[in-house]
Amino acid sequence: MNAILSIAKTTIGEAIRRKVLLIILLIGVLFLVIAPGLNVLSARSSFAVLISFTLGVIQLTGAVIAIVLTVYLIPNEIERRTIYTILCKPVHRWQFVLGKYFGAVGALGLMMLLMTGILLLVFKIMQPTATFDVLGEIARGPVFFFIQMSILAAVAMCFSVFASPIVNFFLSGGVFMVGTLFSPVFQDLANNQNLAGPVKMAATAIHTILPNFAQYNIQNPIINQGVTIQSEQLYYVGLLGYAVMYIAGLLIGAILIFDRREV
Amino acid sequence: MSLAIETNQLTKTYKTRAGQVSVVKNLDLQVERGEIFGFLGPNGAGKTTTIKILLGIIYGTSGWAKVLGEEAGDINVHKKISYLPEKPYYYEHMTGMEIMQFYASLFGIKDKAQCERLLQRVNLGMDMNRPISQYSKGMQQRVGLAQSLLNDPELLFLDEPTGGLDPIAHIEIRDLILKFREEGRTVFISSHELSDVERICDRVAIINKGELVHQGRLEDLLAGGRIEITASGVTQALADKFRSDDVLVSFKGDRLIVDMPDSDSPNEMLDSIRSEKGSVVSVIPRRKRLEDLFLESVRSDNQAKGRVLNKMSDDHNDPKPSAEEETEVGS
Repeated sequence: MNAILSIAKTTIGEAIRRKVLLIILLIGVLFLVIAPGLNVLSARSSFAVLISFTLGVIQLTGAVIAIVLTVYLIPNEIERRTIYTILCKPVHRWQFVLGKYFGAVGALGLMMLLMTGILLLVFKIMQPTATFDVLGEIARGPVFFFIQMSILAAVAMCFSVFASPIVNFFLSGGVFMVGTLFSPVFQDLANNQNLAGPVKMAATAIHTILPNFAQYNIQNPIINQGVTIQSEQLYYVGLLGYAVMYIAGLLIGAILIFDRREV
Repeated sequence: MSLAIETNQLTKTYKTRAGQVSVVKNLDLQVERGEIFGFLGPNGAGKTTTIKILLGIIYGTSGWAKVLGEEAGDINVHKKISYLPEKPYYYEHMTGMEIMQFYASLFGIKDKAQCERLLQRVNLGMDMNRPISQYSKGMQQRVGLAQSLLNDPELLFLDEPTGGLDPIAHIEIRDLILKFREEGRTVFISSHELSDVERICDRVAIINKGELVHQGRLEDLLAGGRIEITASGVTQALADKFRSDDVLVSFKGDRLIVDMPDSDSPNEMLDSIRSEKGSVVSVIPRRKRLEDLFLESVRSDNQAKGRVLNKMSDDHNDPKPSAEEETEVGS
């Protein structure tokens, strides 16, 4: 456990100093700050549009940070040979992979926390009468985006044990896009009784294999329009459980591959 | 007690588009406990690959390797060994002290005083709170050595420990390595600094293209030095008497030059020269150097196998196939 924590801590320390990540974060923060002044806001529903826009900024920024941060984690360690001084200590490879992953998620969490803080501040300035309940409602979106990005980081981590960073960037980005935009489509196809068997099977397979990122966009009524939530808590626990299972599966895959990998 | 390192028919083969490439071939190494062992070879000889196998970072294709009596890569062995890679890189945002605490935590060591003591031992006591990014190459190497002592290792693997250092840092590191032996540690050094190896190592192994060419005690491997006698006023007849299969005799002007093995005593020859009214100008023992042995070994091995001598410069890594084309064989 010590080794995992130490590796995670070092990974966070390094990640929050990476200029490329800080630039991405800065751009995201900049959009959050200037969002209220943008003309995209309609007079009719400026508040709703502002929420949607700023949450979109956090999601996109989070996704780019998650991918850029994670795709380089293990390849950099190999290239700089730091991995040799770590793996020749009494550190198992699975501890190394987990340490790196938790470090990435930790750094990602800090960056998303900063963006969420700024988002809430902007809203409090825009709506001085907004209560803590309203702010809490708004903050729930980024919390689920964080879970979504943790899955994305696990996807990138899994690819990073065998793919080069550039290939991994496009692979992870592709999985995120498909999982965000098309997962509900595949889910509908899988549930459609009128479709031919092979099409249904293919849709079910894709829906099962690909992570369903879309379900974490809890603020998006367009994507979740068909969903009637009986118990909110249960729904959130289900989302969390799905994430834990998916991340666990990906990390186990990453560990199994990395265990036999020549570094 | 078991050997510190033992390999038996250790082979590492990669499958490339061009076919199978054996980077290490049937390597039999024996490293005694408590000795400084030099592991030599030209670039691409398989040194780094061998070290990686011994550390359990990569796996041999066939044969076996034991470290401190256990299978190479065993996590229990990792508690008793340490490794300093060639040109080590450390997380630059950290200070020397933080680096030490990070590596200490990997052993479950929480004693900050131990980290301080080790940094002081490598003369970094005054700089321990400066970021690594401000350290010179020599200072980074010394941090590397300090971190490699955290677990009080029985066996240290040092890959080019003095490579690229200035003369002062070079001597400091060399002296530290000598102290490791005094402390009873085994040191396995891979180096191109043959003068260092000759000065500090007890035994050496030379590998070329993944194959062991020589292994043994330095004094045995370097035995067979020569003595050069220069004399004047010596007749051709007397010179001819000295000549034999192993004694080379020549004249340079009026001076006789005799080149003989140092296993023979020169006294008889010197007496003969003096008794014939000749005059001995000089007697110079020419000890065989490790550099000679190294070049001789690699050249003759290459000639025997119809290869061209490798360059001694360029990159120091083994010719591992690229990630895209490589596939490990047999594991």
